[in-house]
Amino acid sequence: MAAAVIEPPSQRKRPAPVPLEVGAPEFAALYQAHSRAIYYLCLRMLNDPTKAEDATHDVFVKAWRHLDQFQGKSSWRTWLYRIAINHCRNLQQGWAERHVFPTADEFVLQDTVPDPASPFRVLEIKELGERIRRTLDHLPPEYRLLLLLVADQELSYEQVGALTEQTADAVRGKLHRARKAFAAEFEKTA
Amino acid sequence: MNPDSPKLQRLQSELEAEQQHPQQKTTQTSTAREFATPEEMLRHDAAQTVVPPGIKTRLADSVQQEPAPNRSPSWWQKLFR
Repeated sequence: MAAAVIEPPSQRKRPAPVPLEVGAPEFAALYQAHSRAIYYLCLRMLNDPTKAEDATHDVFVKAWRHLDQFQGKSSWRTWLYRIAINHCRNLQQGWAERHVFPTADEFVLQDTVPDPASPFRVLEIKELGERIRRTLDHLPPEYRLLLLLVADQELSYEQVGALTEQTADAVRGKLHRARKAFAAEFEKTA
Repeated sequence: MNPDSPKLQRLQSELEAEQQHPQQKTTQTSTAREFATPEEMLRHDAAQTVVPPGIKTRLADSVQQEPAPNRSPSWWQKLFR
């Protein structure tokens, strides 16, 4: 009788992962519909493509684990955003101990603030991503998140308010100040 | 389609103009642009952002190793609410 050869676990080949469309087609559709929005939020909140990639993966794994908790009271986009915001905030907590970010109340605008109603002229579109990164990096986290969420046309002010724990009126009020702060910081990146 | 139709003639003239000035179009798409609000700029930036394809592969692997979620029969019907 031939002796059975048992490979140590480290040498065993793991089976190739089944594509998401095959293993979990409905979840693949969910990923397809919302991954860009979630990745972009993570990218601009964490300011690091590698961390954003990891965070997006982790957000969808959490979503998979808690699919049964989705009640259908909110939209899928809002539900995923909530997971992503909490996840990014947890990651940022460690950094917050090493970096000091101004709060929205502490953020002081200089006298020469450009009019936020005037259009933003970008001469080199290829540099836009880097300029946005530097601009958002200098904004209070509250303004940054508000602008990122309002930019998503799938969300109403009410939904943005629910995600940021404030009323829709408060969102409208803060949005004006957030735009001004963005305009001031964006001009500095030119 | 009638080869003398105004629609076709316009298309042809547009194609000819594009062939004669191919650089003009490239320059227009890669230089100045105006955005009315920061949100509009962020939307444009988000639309240009490519989600790294590796995330989906990793996710497939992770989901495969996770126990199947306790799914209600109709959870997927809420997918596109």
